[in-house]
Amino acid sequence: MPDTGDILRLENLEVHFPIQGGLFDRVLGRPAGVVRAVDGIDLTIGHGEIVALVGESGSGKTTVGRVITKLAQPTAGRLLFEGADMTSVRGLSALRPYRHHVQMIFQDAYQALNSRHTVFDIVAEPLRSLRLVENDAQLTERVSEALAAAGLNPPGDFFARFPHELSGGQRQRVVIAGALAVRPELIVADEPVSMLDVSIRAQILQVLVDLRDKHNMALLFITHDLPLAWLIADRIAVLYLGKLVEIGSADEITFNPRHPYTVALRDATPQIHTDADRSKLPALQGEVPSAARVPKGCRFHPRCPLAFDRCRQDEPPAIEVGPQHLSACWLAN
Amino acid sequence: MSESSVPYSTHRRVQAFKGFLRQFLGHGGAQLGFVCLVCFLVLAAVPNILVGPLQTAVNATGDFLVPPSGQHLLGTDEVGRDVLNLVVHGARISLTIALLATVISLIVGATVGMTAGYFGHWADVWLMRLTDFFFVVPSFVLALVITPVVLEVMGRGRDILGFRPSIFVIIVVIGLTSWAFVARIVRSQTLSLKERTFVDRARVAGTSNLSIMLKHILPNLVPQIAANGALVVAGAIYVETSLSFLGLGDPLQPSWGTLLALAQRAGAASAGAWWYLGAPGICVLMVSLSFVLIGNALDDTFNPRRRVIP
Repeated sequence: MPDTGDILRLENLEVHFPIQGGLFDRVLGRPAGVVRAVDGIDLTIGHGEIVALVGESGSGKTTVGRVITKLAQPTAGRLLFEGADMTSVRGLSALRPYRHHVQMIFQDAYQALNSRHTVFDIVAEPLRSLRLVENDAQLTERVSEALAAAGLNPPGDFFARFPHELSGGQRQRVVIAGALAVRPELIVADEPVSMLDVSIRAQILQVLVDLRDKHNMALLFITHDLPLAWLIADRIAVLYLGKLVEIGSADEITFNPRHPYTVALRDATPQIHTDADRSKLPALQGEVPSAARVPKGCRFHPRCPLAFDRCRQDEPPAIEVGPQHLSACWLAN
Repeated sequence: MSESSVPYSTHRRVQAFKGFLRQFLGHGGAQLGFVCLVCFLVLAAVPNILVGPLQTAVNATGDFLVPPSGQHLLGTDEVGRDVLNLVVHGARISLTIALLATVISLIVGATVGMTAGYFGHWADVWLMRLTDFFFVVPSFVLALVITPVVLEVMGRGRDILGFRPSIFVIIVVIGLTSWAFVARIVRSQTLSLKERTFVDRARVAGTSNLSIMLKHILPNLVPQIAANGALVVAGAIYVETSLSFLGLGDPLQPSWGTLLALAQRAGAASAGAWWYLGAPGICVLMVSLSFVLIGNALDDTFNPRRRVIP
C-alpha cells in the first residue's frame, strides 16, 4: 500500500489475551479461551489530525492506545508509523526514536505521577531518558516551555512541587507537559478529561487543540463521550467490543449516524433542551458482552433493536455509506 | 483563580517528617524501644570511656565469681573479669554484627524481590524458588554449617577494620540466611507497584527498566523495607547470639552470645552465678524486643489505612 501521508496506520490490528485455564481444564484438555480485546481494526491518523476513538468501557479503546504507545503487543495486524512497520520493534534503544515521536496522556493524573518526584523531574523524565538534551540549561528551558504550553504559568513556580501539592487540573496539565516535552508528532490521549471537573475540562481541551493548531501535532483522543468527541475531533471512530462499527467525519457521525450503536450512543447523551433530535429507537438494553464470548454474526445484534436474521449469522463488513464514512451494519445501505 | 499556586518550600517536607515522627512516637512501644535502643547505642559507641578497656584474664580486676557489689556492679566471671565491662563491650560486637548483617540482608532481599517482581516470568520463577530454598532451610542450621567451613578456609587470622575475620563471617552468614523474608515482601509490593500508571508513563517516556526500578519502584518500597528491616535486626541478634553460644563466635571479641557460652561452660548456672548468665541474656532480650517494638510501630505508621495522606 502506498504511503498516503498518514502519520499512523493500524492494519487489521488484533489483541487477544489468553485466559489461563485452571489445572483441571488443562488436564481435561479443554481449550484455553481468549479475550478478544481488539479484534481486527483498521484506522489511520493523518498529520495534524484529531481522531476520536469512542466506545463504552470494555470496548477495547484503551488497549488500542496501549498498542500504539507500545505498552501492549498486538497478536496480529500491523502498526505503521510514517510508513515504517513498528509492530515487532522492541527494546529500549530500538524504540527510542518512536517514543520521541509518540507520547501518551493518561486518564488518571493521580496515578500517572509518581508522588515522590517533583514536577520538574516528572516533566524532565522523557527528555533525560530519550537523551534529547545536552545540558542542564537546555533541560530547564525545555521543561519550562512544556509547562507553559500546558498552561502552568509561571513554570518556575512549579518546578520543586510535588504532585500532592497540586489541584486535579494542575496535575493533568503536568501529565500533558510530560508528553509535550519531547515535542512529539502524535499524542495518544486516553480519556484526558474524564476525571476532571467540567469547568476545567474546557481549558484542558483548549490546550490540546492549541497544540494541533500551533505544532501540527496529531492526536488520538480516546473517550466514551460522543459530544466531547464531536467538539474536539476531525474524525470519529466508534468502537464496539473490539471492532470499529462506524467511522467518519465528526459531523457525519454525530448528525448522520448510520449504525444503530452510534445512534444509541448519541441518544444516550443527556440533553438539556428537547427530544426533537432523537431517533425513535428504544434505548440500549443490557451490558456490553464479555470480550471472551463474542456473539456470532454482528457482535452488536443481542442489544440491537433493529437486528434481524442475517445479523445473527453473518458479520457485516464495513460499508461505505458516504464520503469517508464507513459503517459496519447490514442496514447501512 | 481556583488553581492558585502555593509557594513551595522545604518547610513542607520538614513538616511531613515531623508529622511522621509524632505518629511514630505516639506508640508507647515505639517510645520504649527507642529509648532502650539509644541507651545501647551509646554503650556500643563509647565502651572505653564508660567502663575502660576490655578486660582479659591478664588485666582482670576482681576475684572469681563475685556477686554484684559496689565495686563490680554486675559481679565478676570465673577469671575475675568485671561482667559489666564485658557486657558493655559485647554490645558493640553484637550490635555491629546485627546491623551489618541486616544491611546485607536488605540489599540482597530487595534486589532479588524487586528483580523477581518486576521482570516476572522466568526470573520470578527461579528467583522465588531460590528464595523458597532459603526460606525453608532453617537459617540457623545453614549458618551453623557454613560458619565453621568458611572459618576453616579463611583462618582466624588478622583483623579487618578492627574486627576479627570470624565476626565478618558471622555477619555475612546471617545476612545471607535472613534475606528470604525481605525478598518475599518486596516482591509482592513490586508486583502491585509495577502495574501503576506512573510505571507505564515512565515506559512511554523511554526510561530503562533499571531506572524504573531505582527511581520509581524503590522509593515507594522504602516504608516496607524500613519496617521489616527492624524485624530483621531483631532476628539477626538472636541468630548471632545462638551461633556464638554454640562456640562459633570469637573469644577475643566477645559478643553477648559468647559471654553466655563462657558462662555456661564455667558452670555459672550450677554455681548460682545468676549475674553472669543474666546480664548478657537480658541485654539480648531488651535489644531484640526494642527492634521488634520499633518495627511494629513503623509498620503501623506506614500502614496506608492508618496513614494521614500528606
